[in-house]
Amino acid sequence: MVLKYFIAVAVLFTSVTIAQAHTPLCSCFDNGDETITCEGGFSDGSSAAGVAVRVETMAETVLVDGQMNEDSEFTFDRPKGDYFVMFDAGEGHKIKVPGKEIVE
Amino acid sequence: MKKKLVSFLVGAAIVGSAAMASAHFQMIYTPEMAMTKGGKIPLKLVFTHPFEAGHTMDMGRPEQFFVVRTRGENSPKRIDLLDTLQQITWTSLTNSGQAWETVYRARGGDHIFCLLPEPYWEEADSYYIQQNTKVIVNVGGEPGAWNEPVGLPTEIVPLAKPYDRWTGNVFQGRVLLNGEPVANAEVEVEYMNHKPLLGSNSFAEEAEVEAPQRSFVLQTIFADKNGVFTFGIPKAGWWGFAALDLDQNYQYKGKKCSRDAVIWLQAKDMK
Repeated sequence: MVLKYFIAVAVLFTSVTIAQAHTPLCSCFDNGDETITCEGGFSDGSSAAGVAVRVETMAETVLVDGQMNEDSEFTFDRPKGDYFVMFDAGEGHKIKVPGKEIVE
Repeated sequence: MKKKLVSFLVGAAIVGSAAMASAHFQMIYTPEMAMTKGGKIPLKLVFTHPFEAGHTMDMGRPEQFFVVRTRGENSPKRIDLLDTLQQITWTSLTNSGQAWETVYRARGGDHIFCLLPEPYWEEADSYYIQQNTKVIVNVGGEPGAWNEPVGLPTEIVPLAKPYDRWTGNVFQGRVLLNGEPVANAEVEVEYMNHKPLLGSNSFAEEAEVEAPQRSFVLQTIFADKNGVFTFGIPKAGWWGFAALDLDQNYQYKGKKCSRDAVIWLQAKDMK
């Protein structure tokens, strides 16, 4: 009985560990038509649908506030000045992509 | 007695298979399988002998060339690349042969490039060779359906990502014919020993390693009863795996055709 309980708990902890082993990923591309598309995801291949995405000025003024669509993509009009994209999947799961690094 | 007969028959089958050994390798080459950022990537399709940068065979126009892009849990998207191919001449250390090239724009995830070449008539052996080939390029580290069959007639499905192998890792693949595992499939393994030079469409003259004996040029291993083969990777670079003659009664234009499946990996040193 105790052994069964131990195994169940061990399995539970193992599962939790696996679930937390992923890291966030976000790549952005210039579509060449004044728009930018960002693709979000996780290193274990799980979906980023619904994850918050913000486009901010370097002074952290939010220009666009949105979320990844069902294909884990987010497209927005390219801002005029310097900016960055924040992929925000929660504490420890954020990625900042500087606008200067976004190319076709 | 019965056991001896079985042994003899198995031996004969192995010798028969060995006669198909070719060392021909269909390449789909681009410099980097694991890209940190997306962008345009060159692709060279060359049918050659990569360890020795030896005889390069003339490739006809491929029957199919396409990419399956998958990213995370998104549905796979197939993009036909056949019409983008341009004919080139590839120069090895011994001759030149007709090959093909294109440029592809890669974004995030897995890009599974698939080539079904026109069968090549091997005059010396009086049979055709068709090596259906896969190369998987990943951008950004987000995986897709790299471990799923694409559905090629002959195919090697990787059981480890071919783009994330450290030197010293093992690589496993499952050999399929029409989606079914091929028990005991014979698999040739060869190292890309001369760097492809994309500017000149040729191999570098300098070799990375020297084979101490002919056996090391082309290694032969066998899959198990589930069609799974295993290979330990001794050196960084590109390694090719060719499962041979998977459909032994297959004919093309009334002649024997060795229907093979090829996959490549790119290993990196830990440093």
